[in-house]
Amino acid sequence: MTDVQENGYIGKSVQRVDAYDKATGKARFIEDYQSQFKDLLHVKILRSPHPHAKIVNIDSSIAEKLPGVATVVKGTDPDLPWEYIPYANNYYGNPAKDEVIWAGQAVVAVAASSIEIAEQALELIKVEYEVLPYVIDQEAAVGPDAIPVVDPKLGLSAGYQGPHPDGPNVLGSYKLKKGDLDAAFAEADVIVEQKYSNDKKSTAAVECNGVIVEYKSDGITVYTNCCGIHGVVKEKLVNMFPNLSGSQLRVVQPFQGGSFGNRLFPLIEPLAVVIALRTKRNVSHILTRKEMFTSSPSNWPCVTTLKLGAKKDGTIIAEEFKITENTGASINNYYDGRLSGSGLVCVYDVPNVFGDGYAVSTNTVPCAPYRGLGCPESEWAMENLLDVLAEKLGMSPVELRLKNFIKRGHENAYGEKLTSTSVAACLTAVADAIKLDEPCEQEPGPWRKGKGIAVGGKQNTPLGRAEADVLVHSDGSIELLVSVDEQGMGAQTTLMQMVATEFEIPYESVKVTRADTAVTPFDNFAASSRTTYTTGNAVRIACQDAIRQLKEAAGRKLGVAAMQVTIKQGKAFILGSNVEEIAVADLFEPFSFFTDQNWGLQKGTPVRGRGVFCPAPAVPWFGPGHEDGRTPRMWNWYQFSACAVEIAVNVETGQIKLLKIASAADTGNPINPKLVEGQIEGGVIMALGFSVMDGHVYQDGVMANPGYNDYRVPTVLETPLQSNIIPIISPDALPDGPYGAKGMAESITIPVGPAIASAVYQAAGVRPTVMPMTAERILELINAKEAKND
Amino acid sequence: MKFDWYYEPTSVNECVEILKEYGSEAKLLAGGTDLVVRLRSRAQKVKALVSLNAMPELSRIQKTEDGLHIGAMTKLMDITKSEMFTGSWMVVKKSAGNVSSMQVRNVATIGGNTCNASPSADTVPGMIASDAIVRIAGTEGERALPLEQFFTGPGKTALKKDEMVVGFKLPDLGPGNGAAYKKYAIRGDSDIAIVGVAARLKLSQDGIIEDARVVLGAVAPTPIRVPSAEQMLIGQVLTDELAAKAAQAASDFCTPITDARATKEYRKEMVRVWTQYVLKEAHSNAQ
Amino acid sequence: MINPSAGAINIDFHVNGKSYSMQVEPFKTILEVLRDDLGLTGAKKGCDDGNCGACTVIMDGKAVKACSLLIGQARGKKITTIEGLEDENGLHPLQKAFIDRFAIQCGFCTPGMIMTAKAILDANPNATEEDIREGMHGNICRCTGYVKIVEAVEAARDQMNR
Repeated sequence: MTDVQENGYIGKSVQRVDAYDKATGKARFIEDYQSQFKDLLHVKILRSPHPHAKIVNIDSSIAEKLPGVATVVKGTDPDLPWEYIPYANNYYGNPAKDEVIWAGQAVVAVAASSIEIAEQALELIKVEYEVLPYVIDQEAAVGPDAIPVVDPKLGLSAGYQGPHPDGPNVLGSYKLKKGDLDAAFAEADVIVEQKYSNDKKSTAAVECNGVIVEYKSDGITVYTNCCGIHGVVKEKLVNMFPNLSGSQLRVVQPFQGGSFGNRLFPLIEPLAVVIALRTKRNVSHILTRKEMFTSSPSNWPCVTTLKLGAKKDGTIIAEEFKITENTGASINNYYDGRLSGSGLVCVYDVPNVFGDGYAVSTNTVPCAPYRGLGCPESEWAMENLLDVLAEKLGMSPVELRLKNFIKRGHENAYGEKLTSTSVAACLTAVADAIKLDEPCEQEPGPWRKGKGIAVGGKQNTPLGRAEADVLVHSDGSIELLVSVDEQGMGAQTTLMQMVATEFEIPYESVKVTRADTAVTPFDNFAASSRTTYTTGNAVRIACQDAIRQLKEAAGRKLGVAAMQVTIKQGKAFILGSNVEEIAVADLFEPFSFFTDQNWGLQKGTPVRGRGVFCPAPAVPWFGPGHEDGRTPRMWNWYQFSACAVEIAVNVETGQIKLLKIASAADTGNPINPKLVEGQIEGGVIMALGFSVMDGHVYQDGVMANPGYNDYRVPTVLETPLQSNIIPIISPDALPDGPYGAKGMAESITIPVGPAIASAVYQAAGVRPTVMPMTAERILELINAKEAKND
Repeated sequence: MKFDWYYEPTSVNECVEILKEYGSEAKLLAGGTDLVVRLRSRAQKVKALVSLNAMPELSRIQKTEDGLHIGAMTKLMDITKSEMFTGSWMVVKKSAGNVSSMQVRNVATIGGNTCNASPSADTVPGMIASDAIVRIAGTEGERALPLEQFFTGPGKTALKKDEMVVGFKLPDLGPGNGAAYKKYAIRGDSDIAIVGVAARLKLSQDGIIEDARVVLGAVAPTPIRVPSAEQMLIGQVLTDELAAKAAQAASDFCTPITDARATKEYRKEMVRVWTQYVLKEAHSNAQ
Repeated sequence: MINPSAGAINIDFHVNGKSYSMQVEPFKTILEVLRDDLGLTGAKKGCDDGNCGACTVIMDGKAVKACSLLIGQARGKKITTIEGLEDENGLHPLQKAFIDRFAIQCGFCTPGMIMTAKAILDANPNATEEDIREGMHGNICRCTGYVKIVEAVEAARDQMNR
């Protein structure tokens, strides 16, 4: 029995299909496509220096005359499709009209024959602003008397619920009520309460966002590293440009240099399309690194006030939270506090809950989902407060959590049943890995060591449909057509493994063709860790469809019913007999132009299997009967993770050094363990960054650190030594996942910050409440504690 | 960031004549790791770019009887590998290794790092503590200036329009000297320093401080010496208490700003913390 | 000899073993010339200000960030890019190790990482984990957490020392 026959490729660390191209420089990313286009125009953008201002006048007359400038785009130009894009919602890459609402927003765009000329043109443009009051602190942005982020007279700011009674900047709210909170707090033996917050952060992927639009008289092709060629780019562009039909718009995605959520909206594509349609030329626009910080989406930070009540045996019986998401200058969107709030109800089984969620806008760069979708922000509160609660109860943090996890098959506060979780196993695994209960070996000097542990959980949002086509070529080789984003996680490889397993053939016989709307079928986008699950299921269905067709063809040829046929190892076998068989390749009839034709399987024409998969839709949590905000299906499945760390805190400088980290991911059934490990390792180091050192710094409403020099993402020196990074895979099959698999690439980022905070408490006796736990903030806490002790 | 003229002079004389012609519209290209980045972001415009990369005689390190001569175009990486920075000169070798990353040090030069005149330049405090002299050439001839007088403001030097730095001299300070430099930053060498502290102590046979230099980077418009700290050290034996006092004096003396990297309060506190360590390290290096 | 020029300068240099004699505008960086004029798009532009290291190439044996060097600085020099590593004998041990050890995710930082690692190992064939970390902290990765990258460099080192 070959390896394939034994288990298929599920659970095997097969080499990535794109590794060779990426290791040799052959792999092409968006900017690498520039040379193949003639007459390329380059776009540069003049951006607002003010966090809030009226645009009084733009004089671009001199710039327009500069030789080499093809066109200048202003927000008032008639071909900007404002009636089809609600102003400054997620499509905020376009030049502003009327008003700028964050420093970094586009004001004027120039397209010229070289970047140098475009930059010179920007210097010739004069913009007159009337500076307006701004608000960047999200707590100051709440309330009916807050400074409005955008002029109320424009009538633009409204979330999906419409204008909100709680204030001009409030975009939405969501309340969750379960049980009897007051009675529960009255009954509680111990009550703890605290407010927590975090800073804005940028995913800071090493590749910048970019687009190239190729103009032809019969249509345009958009090359972009934006996610979701069908669901995001094509769908939105076709809606925005009524003169552009579905047949005239083609979208192609090269390899993406990361995304982590930042590329989930067509940020720069609409502008490039406007310019291409206007000039009838090819257009390229690659953002600069500075623009990636000032003008591409950040996360949405949260302020969370959390209160927990527990019995003295550690059972948590009451939970009350207020959470406010800061969406930045994204003033027209779907945020209402629910996304981040989900982190506060998906891990622990609390019978009485009141959750009050809000989303509010501020005059800072608009937000988009940043890996973890607001759960690192909200669970920063939960996990930290549990540490406080454990101490007050005299219980270990591990014991307290084990006692309160939602078990498989049980309901969370929404009313959803949990279908897959191994969080308890994750927790004990990481506690063992760093020997949590053994005290640290302290050394003389200002560095004090400590250990800490935390957990995280995250929903998968049922984000719509995925499709796949599987082509069985007439030589038996298989080609998978999928539109899946490849931002680095290795989705192509995982899906290829599924195909090879379904057909029981060596994986070298499977090729993945990806991400071209003219060739590959619909997929929404890579978000919320949905690809393995959603697209994986579609791939399985497509394989089964192709196999069904092969079975029918084999049955016809061999004179048996299709259900008696098995397709595997490139052959058709009769069930119950290994005697009569035919090679799949021989199912395809040869033909000659003049004599043989047939309607069945023919050489040169592949069999096409089609798969469509949609996760079950959510059941509305609003409207009659849902006044409590509850529903048996708010989200889809959940992924969990536990993290244990050993750190050192320098009590003189406040610096935190990560010495050792164990991270366990609850993964369903991992398709490719090495790829999963890679996600764990990358995820925890990304989380190390935003937990300890990287975040937006603002001065006078403007981001003061928009560059890799001062936006401190971890380099290799900030990571522990090799032997001190311990990734652990903890499988628990997801019943409706392909082969039981589910996504895991986000939950690992959630517990890192709180685990470090818990370790800081052990080491230095202070409890941080603001993330990132920068050296300055830690030193301030340490000095305040010392002052209190004196 | 187009510039109109590009020169690659092969001698200092040629070079200063070009500088005289263009004045402030010319910029010298050494390694380029600061200049090229500024030109590309259009933070700086230039009419004539004058590359020093065709003048290999500016890259030599030479020991003479009066000290160590370092050519302005000497790469930082070469300084970190040179065996010639003995005794207290070691501080210059080590601090060159604090600049950014390997790739940058392979290209960046000591002259560039100095003339860029960032208050946070890592090579400078150690050199000032070593009483370094800058050798300057112009159309009127050569002159020398103590390095501590070379900086006139953030990004500004005492160079006249037709002048360039050709090298540095680290004088022979005699026996009993020890120096140290600490670059304090969150991400170590990758970051620009939040504070930089250098110190040199000259000890007598019985451990009395005969001479002292305390130099701070990143906490004033230029790198600065702290005369009050130096004076309180001279004639004393270094104790923990004295080091703490000197560090407090250094902290009180500096005038840092709040920026994206740190607040001014934190910088003052870090000066206080690190000056103590640097003094002790310099002291131990002097043994 | 003064050689003033406006517009274009003449540069002779070598890339991946081939000699080039080019007329090129002096304000172009080495990265731009490699990518736009020579079609060698392996070196990437991640920040264009000398921080991320995705543009790292080897020049006269030393790893340098091509985005921060003007083309005039390449005069007479030998440059190696990622495209120059695979030859008739196959992949360089570093490329093979990066592939085998799953050190590649999105791949954008990969050429820079491999060239930096090559420079480290060429100069110091017995580079320790500490040496590797010190040599590579000028290269940023957001996907891998660096773990498998360091593992791959150590594996390549061991392979090359056999």
